[in-house]
Amino acid sequence: MSESTFDADGITLEKVRDYVWEIPQEGDMRVPARVLASEPLLEEIKDDKTLEQIKNTTHLPGITNHAICMPDGHQGYGFPVGGVGALDAENGCISPGAVGYDINCGVRMMRTNLTYDELQGREAELVDSLFANVPSGLGGGGIVEAGIDAVDEILARGVDWALENGHAVEEDLLHCEDEGMREGADPDKVSQKAKDRGKNQIGSLGSGNHFLEVQRVTDVFDGDVGEAYGLEEDQIVVLIHCGSRGLGHQTCNDYLRKIEQQHQGLLNQLPDKELAAAPAGSQLAEDYYGAMNAAINFAWVNRQLIMHRTRQVFERVFDRSWQEMEMELLYDVAHNIAKKESHDVGGEQRELYVHRKGATRAFPAGHPEVPKAYRDVGQPVIIPGSMGAGSYVLRGGENSMDLTFGSTAHGAGRLMSRTQAKDEFWGGDVQDQLEEQEQIYVKAQSGATVAEEAPGVYKDVDEVVRVSDELGIGDKVARTFPVCNIKG
Amino acid sequence: MTGDRSPGQAFELRDHTADIAVAATGDTLERVFAAVADGLAAASCDDIPGETGERFSLSVTAESREALLFDYLDELIYLRDVRNELPVEHRVERIESPEVEGATAAVTGTDDEGDADADWSLEATARGVPLAEIDAREVKAVTYSEMRLERASDGEGWEAYVVFDV
Repeated sequence: MSESTFDADGITLEKVRDYVWEIPQEGDMRVPARVLASEPLLEEIKDDKTLEQIKNTTHLPGITNHAICMPDGHQGYGFPVGGVGALDAENGCISPGAVGYDINCGVRMMRTNLTYDELQGREAELVDSLFANVPSGLGGGGIVEAGIDAVDEILARGVDWALENGHAVEEDLLHCEDEGMREGADPDKVSQKAKDRGKNQIGSLGSGNHFLEVQRVTDVFDGDVGEAYGLEEDQIVVLIHCGSRGLGHQTCNDYLRKIEQQHQGLLNQLPDKELAAAPAGSQLAEDYYGAMNAAINFAWVNRQLIMHRTRQVFERVFDRSWQEMEMELLYDVAHNIAKKESHDVGGEQRELYVHRKGATRAFPAGHPEVPKAYRDVGQPVIIPGSMGAGSYVLRGGENSMDLTFGSTAHGAGRLMSRTQAKDEFWGGDVQDQLEEQEQIYVKAQSGATVAEEAPGVYKDVDEVVRVSDELGIGDKVARTFPVCNIKG
Repeated sequence: MTGDRSPGQAFELRDHTADIAVAATGDTLERVFAAVADGLAAASCDDIPGETGERFSLSVTAESREALLFDYLDELIYLRDVRNELPVEHRVERIESPEVEGATAAVTGTDDEGDADADWSLEATARGVPLAEIDAREVKAVTYSEMRLERASDGEGWEAYVVFDV
């Protein structure tokens, strides 16, 4: 292996420059694939099928420049997790598989003006109260019980519905992408089955790697941007990670099946059936885009309801109003999504469906789609770590538009399968160790979930973020460390 | 984890970085379908109680054999969410192919082209364990990724491999 190549068991990557590796175009690949990683991360990435999957992604019609794997990439189904693919919105396609099952799975962060000192001694009470009041796990219901009419409203209007129904304030909308309402959402394109699954899950975390975490800010790396984001050391913040629940999962599968039935020709050209895509301009592409946008709205409402409920829990535990504790939404990011965006491709503006699956939009300062509140400094990017490691707040970096269609990583990325994790860890031990050694209070529906999500099963989030920062696609602003964590 | 509770069928949970895969075998197409579904239940819950819950029936139709397996598993996940029950102890009573009877279809191997309008169909039952009574993790969806459904290499019975998103 020379210094300028990396041999990954049969796939050779060529070094373009520091942290940028390329798999050259060959066979039916329409463009080269790129992997953004340090060598230690590449060593991990090469161990599963990530590289094969990012190569497969380059077979999608209309793929522009490169299929790109983020530093936290790992094997998914079809498209790798940590993948970015920009597909031409006129001559290309849109791929439900490249968005993922959990449409608009994402993360939001809420600030408070509490300090860690004020919270210490109350952790057990807080974690119990959050666990009792925020539905999690399978069959745990949702914060609101709604009929199909309300589901349709949520799908069409997003957080605006939450505002009207007392689960949000105006300010929340101003700190959410698209002000919490995706245009072009079409509730009629979401199946009855999907709505039936969604109606009992509005305002619920779900299980797996989804969680709600109370955190303390341990480091602010960039004082000016930190100030613009309202972050300072020792401050308490709340991070919420979840998605569109069964409604989104069902929507993805409904459209994968429709594509299989209606666009077999395109499907047969692809190396993996999970890459199933609808040709741009087809009725099915329009329908999926309308349904996906509706599911995006559903997920935003889901995270909004959980955030608003968290405010009420804090009011009870700390015996003062949430306004007094300045519990304000910092930002909400999606990391399973496709959006029609305009990008500069070789000097020409092109409309692209930018698919980010396990990748986060990271638009830089000055971009018109960054909300006004942050336009001068760049879009906040929230990168959750594992429950024993820190999370990060980044800002969209100035190289992101050139390198990654305005994207960066989404989290630590799994290293170990769930079955292996359960062999190596026992939930009770993990929980005790976190509490005794790190003062992290964890409460979960299932011990197995704690074992499966043990800190040791994730990649090193510090290294993922370091690479993002070095590349200038997402710059480090602040780091947080868990205090209380609830999960399914 | 493995399960071979019923004669003539078995499953194994396999490692997959972010997800869970089920490898299953069965003497017949019906049994391999049920074995994959039992694998889905095992992937959702480590400790399935023996007695609780009522049996219910379901039927599924699809345009090919693989699509039928996909839609069967998709339906089970859907029913879990709307019934608030984890379906376990799966029995697939009957699979019918668009051709005359199941046996003919079973021999045609991987050729699923045929008449696109003709449907494969399946009748099955399962016991629904109330989610409130168990620690269950959410399997989000069945995937087509790496899915295999084929004649066993020794020519006896069927083998299937299915990855689930968790």
